Amino acid sequence: MNRLLLQLAIIAGAGCLLSSNPIIAQILPPQKRAEHVEITNGPELELALDNMAIVRWTTTNPRGDDEHYGVVHYGTDPEDLSQTAKGHIRLNRTHPETIFRVRMQDLKPQTTYYYTVNSMGADGEGDGVKSPINHFTTPGPGERITAYPQPK
Amino acid sequence: MRVHISILVATSLVAVLGIVSVPLAGFTEARAQQVDQPLPAYNPYPPGILPPDLESELLRVRREVQTIFQRYAAEWRALTPPTLTGQPPTLFPTGYEAVRILGGLLNFDENMSPFRNQACASCHLPYTGFSGPIPSVNLTMVAYPGTFRFRAGKRVAQRYTYSPRFPVLHLNGAKNPAVGGTFTGGNFWDGRATGYKLQSADAEQAQHPPVDTQEMGFPDTACIALRISQAAYRPFFERVWGVDFDINFPGNAEQICSTPGGAFGTTATPIGLSAIDRTKANNIFDHWGQSISFLESSNDVSPFTSKFDAFLRGAYTLTADEAAGRALFDGKGNCNSCHLDGVSTKLTPGQTDTGTDNETEPLFTCFGYANLGLPLNPRVAIFYQSTPDGVGFTPNPDGFRFRDLGFGTFLRSGPGSAPNPNASTWQSLAAAHDGQMQTSTARNVAMTPPQCPTTEAPGPFFQKEFFHNGYIKSLKQLVHFYNTRDVFPFNVTSGNCPAGKTEKVDCWPMPEVPDNLDMTVGKLGLTDQEENQIVAFMQTLTDGFNPANPTVSTYKNIDTFTGQCMTGGNASTQGNQTLIPTFSLTQFPCATDVCGVAPVPSPFKIP
Repeated sequence: MNRLLLQLAIIAGAGCLLSSNPIIAQILPPQKRAEHVEITNGPELELALDNMAIVRWTTTNPRGDDEHYGVVHYGTDPEDLSQTAKGHIRLNRTHPETIFRVRMQDLKPQTTYYYTVNSMGADGEGDGVKSPINHFTTPGPGERITAYPQPK
Repeated sequence: MRVHISILVATSLVAVLGIVSVPLAGFTEARAQQVDQPLPAYNPYPPGILPPDLESELLRVRREVQTIFQRYAAEWRALTPPTLTGQPPTLFPTGYEAVRILGGLLNFDENMSPFRNQACASCHLPYTGFSGPIPSVNLTMVAYPGTFRFRAGKRVAQRYTYSPRFPVLHLNGAKNPAVGGTFTGGNFWDGRATGYKLQSADAEQAQHPPVDTQEMGFPDTACIALRISQAAYRPFFERVWGVDFDINFPGNAEQICSTPGGAFGTTATPIGLSAIDRTKANNIFDHWGQSISFLESSNDVSPFTSKFDAFLRGAYTLTADEAAGRALFDGKGNCNSCHLDGVSTKLTPGQTDTGTDNETEPLFTCFGYANLGLPLNPRVAIFYQSTPDGVGFTPNPDGFRFRDLGFGTFLRSGPGSAPNPNASTWQSLAAAHDGQMQTSTARNVAMTPPQCPTTEAPGPFFQKEFFHNGYIKSLKQLVHFYNTRDVFPFNVTSGNCPAGKTEKVDCWPMPEVPDNLDMTVGKLGLTDQEENQIVAFMQTLTDGFNPANPTVSTYKNIDTFTGQCMTGGNASTQGNQTLIPTFSLTQFPCATDVCGVAPVPSPFKIP
């Protein structure tokens, strides 16, 4: 057998050997999306500094894509919530509820912001929830608002 | 060209000397104080960035690398040579052993660098789970010096363990790739070793450091073929892979391969080879990566022999703290949502975890990417390398304007990363992934040398570094960061926490990249004791546990550390004595080749 054929054969054999690892054993397919998702708690302010704020809320588990985003649409005019912030989380498959948290950056101090929230999978499909419009006011420079208690 | 010629002349002597180099074991202390390269060291660093013991520590590591190389050489000589048998031909009956041992020889061979002073393993030794082996580097400059001292990279040396288990980088669940999906797999913090060509992310990972200017630093991938052709184990490589080395290297090839990368401008192939010979060299380079990947998948590196593995098979009972830590890891701590351990997650007391132990050996990773919101670490060596070195190469022209966008930069084929082989589809998704780094396996995060049995102060401990930029210096800090990032946020940079606050305890500086923050963590509500229990559980993930003799590790080559343990302090503030004030982000805003490439980072401006 010539050298090239021998070489190709060894490459093929080694390739099988090298690819025999169960490398994708832990990658699970996406769960079936929940037929109905609803907000069970919040949305509410978790924390605010003079230039940032975190909003959190809880929904029934939307399932679907493990990679999920909480989405906040916000602005200083309740009629114009044109700014968007997203919070990346990974779902817990067996948990009945999911906590979403979203951090908004580059806010102005002592300013009232209006917001509404929803959520979506990393595939871009929304979960079909949307909150009423809520609001918070950022504190002055150097101050902070800790509105949500430390979880137990 | 004149510069190139002069460099070649200067390094030709090196090439000759390198071939007849001798082991360093007999070096005197005086010799050990000299930089082990023929060119003047590159030192653009202000005082205090390089650790004072760097040169002696580099030489210590060299001796340890050589020790392990000799052990693999002994295995090679003792091996019953495999023979090709059957159709298709198979290396019978010792093919597995042959590929593993060959991988060991290649991984620990210092000749695989221009100055013959750096192997792959120089930044990845067994006693740290194949991460960084020098405590003072882990405490200061974060990245490790390359063959050309003291060029250095930009990130923590990632552990080898279980890296071959990461699949080829792909996009899951994307009905419309323009919208997004979940990136899964790849190797490196930024995923730039995709595995698309060899169908092994890990094998392709092994191909990057040899030609990374900041690491092993060859100027041409064909240098791997040249140096293996000179090695004593060349016939072994030929037997395993069926290749020969009848490549007509030009007369200046050795000189070129003795010159660090970056000296030849943007030319990727300074060695003039015919098309046929280039194909042969490329083939050998592919087998280089495959050999090392097989080593890393073998029991030498990834043996599934931790206390936790023993627990899963009923051979070990977790202590009360370890068991509590496991419950928190899966539950309140929410670690299990990304570091999958085969058991479902519960978040609040009173809920019942209905999951069952995984039928496979859990890998403690989801193979995904996340931006955990680490602050910019001003100690990272790359920031200071903005002036030309001795061969006219400037490692980081952006200087303090560099920002590490991780996976987002890779998707844009940006500076310090690699070309994205699927940019036509994936580059448009970059802004949704800025700041994301690979979710490493939690396995072996706590591995240390036997004589320094912990990563945690007061010890005796082995100083490690955690996350991509080494900002975190202990596992206690790591858990505390996940737990309180959003409890103690401050609009400051590292080194500038307000008076009365202690950085990493009750002050977390702002994230380097504010976009795409992972919000699964940040406010977990763990008590101090619960943080410690999660640390205790993570310590059960260290390989080498033998239930029959639990005080002696079985992990291969873990006995090779010859340096010193550290003592004193406490884990909460471990390493804080080396904090330095971050340079002004206003004075040095993000560079245009990082933050100005479409799709630009959004929605928040990267400071």
